[in-house]
Amino acid sequence: MTTAQFPTLAESGLSPEAAELVTGPDEHPIHPEHTPTGQLAFGVFFQGVNSSTIWRLPSSGDQVAWESFETLIRTAERGKFAAFFLGEGLRLREHRGVPFELDVAGRPDAQTLLAALAAVTKDIGLVATQNTTYNDPVDLARRLQTLDLLSAGRAGWNIVTTDNAWTGENFRRGGYLDHADRYTHAEAFVQVAEQYWRGEQVAHDGAHYSVRAQGDLPRSAQGRPVLFQAGASPAGQDFAARTADVIFSPHGSLAAAVEFRRSIVERTVAAGRDPGSVKILPGAEIVLAPTEAEAEEKIRWVRDLQIGPEQAIALLEQYWGRDLSEFDPEGPLPDVPPEVVESGVTRGSGFQFAKAEELTRQWREEAAQKGQSILEFARAKSGSRRGAFTGSYDAVADRLVEFARLGAIDGLNITPWLIPSGLDDIVDHLIPRLQERGVYPTEYAGSTLRENLGLPPV
Amino acid sequence: MSTTAPTFESTRAGAAPGTSPTGDAGAGVLPVLAVDLVTAPPLLDGLAPLARGLEEAGIGALTLSDGGLHPIHVAAHLAPLTRGLGLLPRTDAVYVEPFHLATQLMSLDHISHGRAGWLLQAETDPSAAAAVGRDLLGLEATAREAADVLVAARRVWDSWAPDAVVRDTERGVYVDASRLQYADVEAETFSVRGPAITPRSPQGLLPVLVADTDRGAVGERASTELVDGRVLDLDVSGGARAEQLAARIASARDEGATGSASTVVRLVRLVGLDLEADPLGTARELAAELRARDLVSGTSAPGRTLRELLGLPEAPFDLDPARRADRARLTREESA
Repeated sequence: MTTAQFPTLAESGLSPEAAELVTGPDEHPIHPEHTPTGQLAFGVFFQGVNSSTIWRLPSSGDQVAWESFETLIRTAERGKFAAFFLGEGLRLREHRGVPFELDVAGRPDAQTLLAALAAVTKDIGLVATQNTTYNDPVDLARRLQTLDLLSAGRAGWNIVTTDNAWTGENFRRGGYLDHADRYTHAEAFVQVAEQYWRGEQVAHDGAHYSVRAQGDLPRSAQGRPVLFQAGASPAGQDFAARTADVIFSPHGSLAAAVEFRRSIVERTVAAGRDPGSVKILPGAEIVLAPTEAEAEEKIRWVRDLQIGPEQAIALLEQYWGRDLSEFDPEGPLPDVPPEVVESGVTRGSGFQFAKAEELTRQWREEAAQKGQSILEFARAKSGSRRGAFTGSYDAVADRLVEFARLGAIDGLNITPWLIPSGLDDIVDHLIPRLQERGVYPTEYAGSTLRENLGLPPV
Repeated sequence: MSTTAPTFESTRAGAAPGTSPTGDAGAGVLPVLAVDLVTAPPLLDGLAPLARGLEEAGIGALTLSDGGLHPIHVAAHLAPLTRGLGLLPRTDAVYVEPFHLATQLMSLDHISHGRAGWLLQAETDPSAAAAVGRDLLGLEATAREAADVLVAARRVWDSWAPDAVVRDTERGVYVDASRLQYADVEAETFSVRGPAITPRSPQGLLPVLVADTDRGAVGERASTELVDGRVLDLDVSGGARAEQLAARIASARDEGATGSASTVVRLVRLVGLDLEADPLGTARELAAELRARDLVSGTSAPGRTLRELLGLPEAPFDLDPARRADRARLTREESA
């Protein structure tokens, strides 16, 4: 697909920020080997735990109830979303050795839930986050292929490689895998799965285990499940460029997204693949309102509800490794040294195992420079990790059109901040504007996830 | 013994679903009539109408035996397509990750609003071991492991109190860690720390049963001491005559009346139902005939859990002080 149906980039009145990023002709505006499709696909990233989901409002639904998932996925399908994407964490998050109490915790098994959701949906893709370290490859491949067959070709797998021994305490092999080996191991794991999906004989002898199996299920309508990967770090990007169909690490700004696209195109070409065969759908939060001023007010309200004073203190305690309850959340960051060498007590969250001494010093300086309190700092940190799009319906639509026209992204993987009504304003107000602007589908392109993401056939 | 007449009219009184099945009290509860479906890929053609049709025909539960497609996934898929059917995947307890298996089954319970059960099986096929990179266990080791995995699964299911999610906006607390407990399972070949990554499911503890054909491999401990009752398998592949089946049921119920709770027939399973030859007609006829003889319970009712259907009491929740999930905080507070 080309951008022929659109006015040229010059005619379309790009913002100065976008115009500055253009380095080539309309067919290849940001990289000579990348042709934008000019189209966006949306996924909904139901995280299910962590601070992104607000649980304090009367409209906050039950986080486990079937009805919450069914309502949300029906809304997404009404909005022609390409994918419904579930997170996973294989150990309950803990804070200072105790299950973390302040955020939403606990969710159903991703694939079991998706197998059920396949029965009440027709077009939307069903993507499960599944770990390569604490699953058996043949078992996982069989489960994913079952999901793909139950849904007639709508399954996807978000490949994650969490390897810490703390999570391993729930599994037979424990913390068997070195952090440095996680991608090598994951790649071998994915190869086993692909052999199984092709109906081949699997004979894998790795450093940690040997498996033998015979793939014996029919191929699904899309050939095999679509592979997703976060692909943030350089090693992760390389892994994704070699293996994945879709990358979803967050990039809120257009410049960052363009830079990321260039990086992925380079790596995909280096891996011998067509750059169009790897789609980028960054994780994002979308906060919308009729006007810019209302949207500004709304994002502050959302952040306040996501990160309360208790959560802000708890966030810092992870890195300080000590009780900080004596500090005022409205005051400056604690001026005491951390008690741990490495951070990472609230497991399952970002920044694990950062060097605590260095990180806490950097944070104190950063907050002091910006004049931020503990609360403001914690809210800003959690928000920037998520790649937020905030503004009026029209402003966000216009901004996304630029992302699409430059080919910076192929869509977004949207984390709703409220369950189950968190997609309503996106579907009712943003998507119609994107459709009017010609960058979002009015009908599903096909019946498989692969087709609806615009991926080439397997 | 082999009479077709209802034998246990007298003991049925006072044994309403929900009462304790200890001793022979549970013997009065009529078993649930189940149909076994084998999860071979062709099953997917017409699966929804088949499941709905069986439910309308008076079948109370489906068991899903492994024919290629993962039985837990197929059971989950059927949950929103059916209303009151019990859904019991028949899956291996040995060559699996106990934590994953427990999570998947309790998730099925959430999705089905409390209609999930587990027909525990122990693989003896070398290919099952090879697929996960393990050596095939001997008979005794298989039985020990199957029992250990069942105990571990129950520990995981039981790791959140029913009221653990407090949503206390005043204190900013979503979940109360003092209402969670670790699984702290240290078995011979595996360990599981817990707590579950899924809140307590509607039934808390899913009913666990072992099919007749699997008892040998599963072993004595899991199939008699640990299970919630007995399954009677009736092979109907060569055609089914209600009279013969009725005699088998009556006789099995007779045996179960004198034994422990685990010998009470909770599920009568029709195995080998021919899906090519009017399965709904056969099911309807058998269900009607067996119900008329008062040998199996009435139609499943939406809103009832599988435990209720099977006549099992509500699962209790007990917090084990040694496994409290907030023990690290308690220790800190004590030392302060």
